[in-house]
Amino acid sequence: MFNWLQGEQYLDTAPVGIFVTLLVVVFILVNISRAKKGSEGLFIRRISGLNAIDDAIGRATEMGRPVLMVPGIGALDAISVQAVNIFAQVTKSAAQFSTPVRLCCGNAAVYAFAQEVIRDVYSQQGMGDRFTPETVQYISEQQFAFAAGVSGIIHREKVAATFLLGAFYAESLIFAETSNAIGAIQVAGSTQVTQTPFFIAACDYVLIGDEFYAASAYLTREPVLVGSLVGQDWAKILVASTVLFGTIFQSVELTGMTTEHRAGNAMVSVAESSNGERTEERKKKTDTMTNRLFNPFIPEELTKIEREKKETAQAAEGEGE
Amino acid sequence: MNLMQYMLAQQAIEETFWRKAPGQGLILWVVIGLALGTGLCFLLSTVPTNLRKKVIFTFTFLAGLPYVLAFLWPRPISADFTNDIPRNKGEEIGFFINQAVEPVGTLTNILGGFLLGVGIFSLVRVHSIRIKRRQENWGYSLVLLASFAIMTVVGFWDWRLRAFVDQTGALNVRDNWQPVNYAQDLLFEGIYQQMDSAMFSMIAFFILSAAYRAFRIRSVEATVMMASALILMLNLMGALTYAWGEGINNLVVQTGNPFLMNFKLNVFADWLRSTMQIPAIRAIDFGVGLGALAMGLRLWLGLEKGGVTA
Repeated sequence: MFNWLQGEQYLDTAPVGIFVTLLVVVFILVNISRAKKGSEGLFIRRISGLNAIDDAIGRATEMGRPVLMVPGIGALDAISVQAVNIFAQVTKSAAQFSTPVRLCCGNAAVYAFAQEVIRDVYSQQGMGDRFTPETVQYISEQQFAFAAGVSGIIHREKVAATFLLGAFYAESLIFAETSNAIGAIQVAGSTQVTQTPFFIAACDYVLIGDEFYAASAYLTREPVLVGSLVGQDWAKILVASTVLFGTIFQSVELTGMTTEHRAGNAMVSVAESSNGERTEERKKKTDTMTNRLFNPFIPEELTKIEREKKETAQAAEGEGE
Repeated sequence: MNLMQYMLAQQAIEETFWRKAPGQGLILWVVIGLALGTGLCFLLSTVPTNLRKKVIFTFTFLAGLPYVLAFLWPRPISADFTNDIPRNKGEEIGFFINQAVEPVGTLTNILGGFLLGVGIFSLVRVHSIRIKRRQENWGYSLVLLASFAIMTVVGFWDWRLRAFVDQTGALNVRDNWQPVNYAQDLLFEGIYQQMDSAMFSMIAFFILSAAYRAFRIRSVEATVMMASALILMLNLMGALTYAWGEGINNLVVQTGNPFLMNFKLNVFADWLRSTMQIPAIRAIDFGVGLGALAMGLRLWLGLEKGGVTA
């Protein structure tokens, strides 16, 4: 049945997984296109963590102290790019009040990227001379060396506000508690569900889950970003509907009787059971249509395919023996 | 072993369309690569600002294309993309796409290596300025730069001895160590690792102070959080869980009401985890995954207005 589609990724969830991904991509692109034509009707709910940005910068300005920003310790990926995009908006606001900023990086690629972005922001605000080597700093690639370096900066410079946005791990609480110890306002957000509780416990404002990705759309109201956000919401409705209908169908199906079930490497009809007697039984979770849709039955011979080896590989194997 | 032999030993043997083994012409390829890289860097530095976005978009799109195609095109099942021979045209295309993924990753690593140099330059510049101007706490900067220099010299020296000089693996035994190996061990295992562990252990105290503030009963949410945390923590105390469970068992016997079994600490804690915590985590994960997909799509298609194009 599946011989026409011999791809590892299609064996896992059948074409459903790929189809849903493509559908989400279509949702996002369609809504970006819609937003470009006019994004007036598109609504974004209030996010208190992002509303606090101006308050935090205002406080730093009044106290004459810097604003600290940390994009986590992850490599240059979607998370750190998003974090730096948010920091660009923070820097824009800070530059208008001549409030110094400190952006500390734990990855060299993120540092190079952040340096370009923040320098551009200062140039656009006509304050290129305010960008100093200390504005964006590379600290260390090592987790706790980075934690020690940033904590030192928080203590020495007595920062008035800290923005901890990005991929954080065990160092999250060190930053949050050090900032709290000197009385800084803290706005934090992490895509790591394991670190979010620490931020909730220790910080003033926290961006939870996808609020982190919604931040740039919320702050800039850029049509592309707002459209993308609406596309994400459509996708979330799709996911929630799938979960809801899946739960209902699964529950209804489990009350029925099974006619065939999985037995090792084959589907066995109840009528053909080993003792020759027809015995009806309740469906198991693996016997339902909903389950089979996402976990298609794949014969074992299709999951392991033997191929001829290249001559060089055969020679290497021969030498090894 | 000299540097040439070391580099030859590091390179892959099997060739693909995307990966050539230069063999004896290694030095020539390195020189050509350096010349091309330098020329490309020079060309990029002369690109007008208005063209920068197009250059970045082109590079991003080309780098992302193999990953997208590898996701969509049926990936040959249980295939060794370097040593196997594809069975048909469909697999041939699958092999070709998947072979392209590794070189793109390698290119990213090489760029990362160059960027590390940029990062180190920033570190040295910031602290050199601080020392030169005798700014506040300049002594720490001096310690940092001195540590950086000593660690680099000793680390490379130790690596050189182990990779090139020691042919028999004698340095794997402590008795054969030279002074530089002892110095490397002292600096890395004796100082760096211990300081790293000390920093990590401080988290325990930070957890205490954060928990104290978070669990103060100020609102309904804080009360619910404290109650849940209390149940989960008590559940980890074996003696208490046992005593509580026995108490519930006796109550069930006395009252004849099996519903009371739900109030055992471990049952209640499991319910909190499986019914309250896991669905919440999954919901957050769905949102984060969709956000990452949208962000990646915008970056790949050049729709993102942030970054250098801001």
